[in-house]
Amino acid sequence: MGVEKAPVEIYQSPRLRNSSLLVLWQNQDVGKLTSRVADVLKEKLGGKEISEIKPSGFFTFGGVGFKNDLVRMPQSKFWAFEKQNLLIFKSDEPEFEHYHFLNTLLDVSKDHDQIKELYTLNAFPSLTAHTRPRRILAVFNQSDLRERCEREGLEPLTWEGPPALSSYLLWVGQRKEVPGVSLWLEIPFYLSACGDPQAVQSTLSFLDKRFHLGLERGTMDTEIEELNEKIAQLRKENLEMDRYLTLLETGLGLEEEEQLKLAKEVYDVLEKRA
Amino acid sequence: MAIKLYKTPDLHKPTLFVGWPGIGQIGIIAVNSLKDLVRAEEFGEIESWDFFYPRKVSIRDGLLEGLEFPSNKFYYQRVNQKDLLFFIGEEQPAEGGRIHASGEKAYQMANLVLDVGLRFGCERVYTSGACVSPVHHQMKPRVCTVTSSEKLRSEVKEYSNTFLMSELGEHREGDGIITGLNGLLLGVAKERGLEGMCLMGEIPDWLSGASIAYPRASRSVLEVFGQIVGIDMDLHFLDKIEEQVEKTVESFYEKFPPEMKEEYDQRKVIPQAKPGAITLQAQIYIDDRFKKGGDGGGESPS
Repeated sequence: MGVEKAPVEIYQSPRLRNSSLLVLWQNQDVGKLTSRVADVLKEKLGGKEISEIKPSGFFTFGGVGFKNDLVRMPQSKFWAFEKQNLLIFKSDEPEFEHYHFLNTLLDVSKDHDQIKELYTLNAFPSLTAHTRPRRILAVFNQSDLRERCEREGLEPLTWEGPPALSSYLLWVGQRKEVPGVSLWLEIPFYLSACGDPQAVQSTLSFLDKRFHLGLERGTMDTEIEELNEKIAQLRKENLEMDRYLTLLETGLGLEEEEQLKLAKEVYDVLEKRA
Repeated sequence: MAIKLYKTPDLHKPTLFVGWPGIGQIGIIAVNSLKDLVRAEEFGEIESWDFFYPRKVSIRDGLLEGLEFPSNKFYYQRVNQKDLLFFIGEEQPAEGGRIHASGEKAYQMANLVLDVGLRFGCERVYTSGACVSPVHHQMKPRVCTVTSSEKLRSEVKEYSNTFLMSELGEHREGDGIITGLNGLLLGVAKERGLEGMCLMGEIPDWLSGASIAYPRASRSVLEVFGQIVGIDMDLHFLDKIEEQVEKTVESFYEKFPPEMKEEYDQRKVIPQAKPGAITLQAQIYIDDRFKKGGDGGGESPS
């Protein structure tokens, strides 16, 4: 019994050689990390859209989603950055046929070029303060790659439980002998909804170093500064929030109710007042 | 979509027993227990990744060690000069978040299981599941059957504690649906020229929604399996789990108000044709913790 080939549309064939593939899932987008990283890379490096995996068979079509008042269909697109030898795949996470989808993803990437390494970008909310450095946790599918990345400041992740799609992709990559790493950026939980420019900056720094992208330093400085100033003002005006943030800065946790209060106050300051 | 056989046993017209999880886990407990009792040997599997999302990942010190998928395994054994083939699926492939099998994937899975059966010359297949009935939990569950042919209908009469679906009060014409793969497999088997029978252990209607196993019904099905295979089976291994479940069920029952208990106890003496109001009332007494919950997903490093 054969599996139908996924519908793929290729617009153009890029000139890539031994490139790296960066996969960005945009469903949950904790701290708006993947969408911001994709936007910055496209803006600064000028990539071009080269192909897509059509949504049919991978998504439910029970209606249509919308974001910022605009309807949007699930999208799964490849972007090529020829000068930097980088291929980016930005997609919604499929709802069905995950194995088929992930295989198609890697097969299409290989059709464009012999992929050297696979990277996936993810974020997770954490009980940390925005004033602390962002940790980048990592999962590798080959020990060789783990050793090669030893000096990149990544922290090895240990986990046993339900897998994220990125881990599933790493496993498919492992079977196809594509070395890969999943990056998990730590986002202060109260910035999960509003966006975390510092995490975007940390990611860009890592990618810049890894892929020699030639990005300007401090791309996100203005946004980071603005966010820090707004939260500093909140701390001055609201001593309870200042106490919560101090606890997080000293590595202590917060009660659930305190977390909710802090998340709401920060959201009000960053989103509503803006 | 692949079948992987680790070896090719020499089998002669084996009888295939198939089990997937379902209501009260009645079928899978019965088939899996029979497989264990005859000490069947694993010899193959259906690769899972085309059917299921992995349920567990193991990551240690930054290295992906592996993914764990629900298994779909084949076993075989020779008993009393009869070859037996088993298939145990840990999960039913379902589309759109359904619990029971549905859609193209279920059809494909059923066909793959039968591909293996037919490869070894199998002519007959047994599946097992639950028969949700207005029965009393203190009564011995009977085994309700649906077959693929008239010949098998008469064969059912030879087995004790069994009845045909058409003999069950509300299904006098023997019409209905066996949901999920335990049912679908029979249909596909018939299409492909195999005889088939589904043995369904009775479970009280008000317990069918609780996510607890109902081993008393599995025992009844196993007893019929014993007659089919022609072996005496020591089923004491079920005693402990039966006792635990009975304790839980009795605790619900004890909380029934007297008039409700009285009405429910009628089931012991007068066979009920339809569930009636008592079913809904009794379900209220099932603790929420026994209701099925949603699944979470994804790593959450911290």
